[in-house]
Amino acid sequence: MQEVLNINGISKSYGPIKALQNVSFQVPQGAVFGLLGPNGSGKTTLLSIILDILKADSGSFAWFGHPGSPATRKQIGSLLETPNFYHYLSATDNLKITQAISGRGDAASIDTALKIVKLYERKNSKFSTYSLGMKQRLAIGAALLGNPDVLLFDEPTNGLDPVGIAEIRELIRELANQGKTIIMASHLLDEVEKVCTHVAIMKRGNLLTAGPVDEVLANEDIVELGSQDLGALERILQQYHGITQIKTTDHQSLQAFFPVGTASMEAINQHCFEQGVVLNQLTLKKKSLETKFFELTND
Amino acid sequence: MTNTSNMNLLALVKIEWLKIKKYPAFWWMFGIVALTYPGTNMMFYYGYSEGTKGKEVASNVAKMLLGNPFAFPETWHTVAFLSSVFIMIPAILVIMLVTNEYNYKTHRQNIIDGWSRGQFVTSKLFDVVIISMISTILYTAVAFSFGAWADYDNIGRWAEQLQYIPLFFLQTFAQLTIAFLLGFLIKKAFIALGIFFFYNLILENIAVGYAKFKLNDLGKFLPFEISDRIIPSPAFMSRFGKDMKEAYEKALDAIPMHIALTLILTAAIWGFCYWKHKRRDL
Repeated sequence: MQEVLNINGISKSYGPIKALQNVSFQVPQGAVFGLLGPNGSGKTTLLSIILDILKADSGSFAWFGHPGSPATRKQIGSLLETPNFYHYLSATDNLKITQAISGRGDAASIDTALKIVKLYERKNSKFSTYSLGMKQRLAIGAALLGNPDVLLFDEPTNGLDPVGIAEIRELIRELANQGKTIIMASHLLDEVEKVCTHVAIMKRGNLLTAGPVDEVLANEDIVELGSQDLGALERILQQYHGITQIKTTDHQSLQAFFPVGTASMEAINQHCFEQGVVLNQLTLKKKSLETKFFELTND
Repeated sequence: MTNTSNMNLLALVKIEWLKIKKYPAFWWMFGIVALTYPGTNMMFYYGYSEGTKGKEVASNVAKMLLGNPFAFPETWHTVAFLSSVFIMIPAILVIMLVTNEYNYKTHRQNIIDGWSRGQFVTSKLFDVVIISMISTILYTAVAFSFGAWADYDNIGRWAEQLQYIPLFFLQTFAQLTIAFLLGFLIKKAFIALGIFFFYNLILENIAVGYAKFKLNDLGKFLPFEISDRIIPSPAFMSRFGKDMKEAYEKALDAIPMHIALTLILTAAIWGFCYWKHKRRDL
């Protein structure tokens, strides 16, 4: 698969603070790529570098196989950190500027973008009169202007109400279905898990892991088991070959961890039954992104 | 220059116009300049007419000494000098236009959307050019109107001393460039405006005055003074004795050197802004 973005060994310091340390990863075409990390992990710094807002101390990046340039940026609809618009201009006038600079779309596509983000009715109101959520939606509208194939969203649901968040999630799904490549930084793990195909997790300027969501999450099989006598269940599981760890989750069940792809439900069930423990629960669980995230980012 | 780059420059001007044309402060500036230029000159003209209209000896002497500073061709010089005092009005606009970009973070968005950093600085250069041109057009209209109105008999001499039109433009552009530099580096409108006013109205004037007597007039190399001396005091000032005449002639002789210095300083400032903006984090 062709790569839309290739980041190669990017480092950046602010004085003694190392904001990014040798970060490398690739974003394949058509991916919905989630960039995750706690506040201050370097997500926005990284996105700022690939949009030429900040200068990297070392390393390089390429969009569509070419070093970053005004021409490559024009092909990418981007929302970085905050909605940046002229306060005294209307939504339409602001998008006219976006359009004139980027060359994306035409006069009609300004209305189209405003309709998608539900600002068409307020298109002639000044930006300064908008609520936080409306400003954010205008920024998303500006990114969508002219229907670019690559979109970059830094915390796209910032300032939106629950309905707005659901709408943006739906919009991102729709865009992904159209084959667009979407790069999205977020600390809302639930959001990312619901829409992303790929994920990169960062912490204090370091890239901890990157790749397809399934690969990043599925490094272990987690089997959840329950029985009347949890003590007996735990004792017999300790004799079972291949379990790396047993955890008590609550008073009704246990979690047994296996190396990825090695847990057999039939075999476990049979083992327990033969040892005289009847299971009332047996499920193979996928690890949630949240679990993985805390696992990776907790000290 | 290729066709493509011509088109790009035109596109930059169009985009700046989109930003400026609905900016209320722009129209305020336009209105205030449109009132100040004729207003100030009117005040001086009124003073001149009052002082020279009587039949008594004093009035006649005054008339003989002063001539008519508002008649062609001297109007070009007089009006340029009197109007140029109000550089702070367009300077406010220039500083606002650049600090707005930082305030709204549109200096980032313009780059994100596909401008190069160089194009951003060029767009601001055009802002300064556009505002200087508007000021120059207003000055030209006011100077011409006074020339035609103050002494219609001299209208035939309207084409003399037209060099003050490009000189006025150069001086305005040079001084607004300094205003731009302050906004560009300081990023905060109020601080930049404060420094501009304090330096332009007070500090440099004191320094130039002091240097005139104590430091062999070294003050002429200070940033505003360099371009202030492109348009020396009006010609009537030279008619108050030998010393004044000598000073006036010396000032006229120094104009070419000050044009050169102004061009060098202005080019250096813009060169620095391009250099700085290409390297810095936004």
